[in-house]
Amino acid sequence: MFALTTLIAVSFSIGSFRIGETEKPFLYAVLLWIILVFSALSGLSRSFVKEREAGTIDVLRLSARPQAVFLGKLFFNLTLLLALESIIVPLFILLMEYKIESFGFFAAMIISGGFGLAAGTTVVAAMIAQASARGALFSALSFPLLLPLMITGIKGCERAAIGVGVTGWPEVKISLAYVIIMITMSLLLFPLVWEE
Amino acid sequence: MYSLRVTNVSKHYSATPLLQNISFQLQTGEALAVAGWNGSGKSTLLRIIAGLVKPSAGKVQIFFDNEPISKERKRKLIGMVAPSLAIYEELTALENLEFFCRVRGIPHNREKCLDLMERVGLCEQANKMCRNYSSGMIQRLKLAQALLHNPPLLLLDEPGCNLDSKGMKVVERIILDQRSFGMTVIASNEEREVEYADRVINLSK
Repeated sequence: MFALTTLIAVSFSIGSFRIGETEKPFLYAVLLWIILVFSALSGLSRSFVKEREAGTIDVLRLSARPQAVFLGKLFFNLTLLLALESIIVPLFILLMEYKIESFGFFAAMIISGGFGLAAGTTVVAAMIAQASARGALFSALSFPLLLPLMITGIKGCERAAIGVGVTGWPEVKISLAYVIIMITMSLLLFPLVWEE
Repeated sequence: MYSLRVTNVSKHYSATPLLQNISFQLQTGEALAVAGWNGSGKSTLLRIIAGLVKPSAGKVQIFFDNEPISKERKRKLIGMVAPSLAIYEELTALENLEFFCRVRGIPHNREKCLDLMERVGLCEQANKMCRNYSSGMIQRLKLAQALLHNPPLLLLDEPGCNLDSKGMKVVERIILDQRSFGMTVIASNEEREVEYADRVINLSK
């Protein structure tokens, strides 16, 4: 809902005609990533908080391996993000008349970015589930982690829109490297977070 | 043969001491009751034994034939029922048990789940959503969930909570069965529940 509201607000207030043609690829990429990142920040913090509020977190701690819980939550967040992207990205393209020259690169960037967002936020969601000011803490902790991914995503989407320098899909590779690093680090650190 | 060794366990929150130098040992076939007033630390002691809370001092070890058991394996040996441990209300009772079977890697889960449902007297309500369960039925389901993996160490925090006399018989049966292969620690103030144990530790003293 947050993503949809933001998208509609952006498309009505800015639209496609208020931005010059030369600035469109960069500014549209920025707007799209702002919507995606902040939607992720508003929704993905719930994955562990829900377990804590329902009182099921301790049953999981007693019965499941920490890594299994992490991978389950990661998969859940990933599914949620890919579903969100499949609605928001086509709507954004449609409402903003976003012209993309290299569509394959753009799609790969969005999907790998979704993996990155899910990987970056899952371990933070586990950390903040114990805290009282969860919302603010989740954003404060996630933002520095997601910044490199966001910058890469913006650059990649800009390149995809212009269609220049897309050979080898450099930003997709950086994004996938980010995913691998985040998942590896999370699998190593998650047991410490999970077991107090 | 399994044994549980609790050595000088203390727990304090900020400067307030809750548990101080609690020590005891338990062998397979034994049941121990932990009694005490509200706030005396019964539930905290059980949570420390389960590994859900770290003690401020002291240690909890489980041994098999005098060999200490690793933290990873410890999870497979403990079954726990407590008011703070919930079940998934958006699933049916059977789905809950099957989910925890999968999580624990227990094979042939449906038969085992139905067996357990029968043991706790919930067989006829197996496919009912847990959000429609009474508090007594939820307590029975929690007992079934704790027994899924035949744990050698069963931790029961207020096991008779919300149960009627038939439910209490189920608890009694479970504790008696547990004696044949494992250990039980019961935290309660109810005289009837404390009587199931061989020994009592009173935390109010």
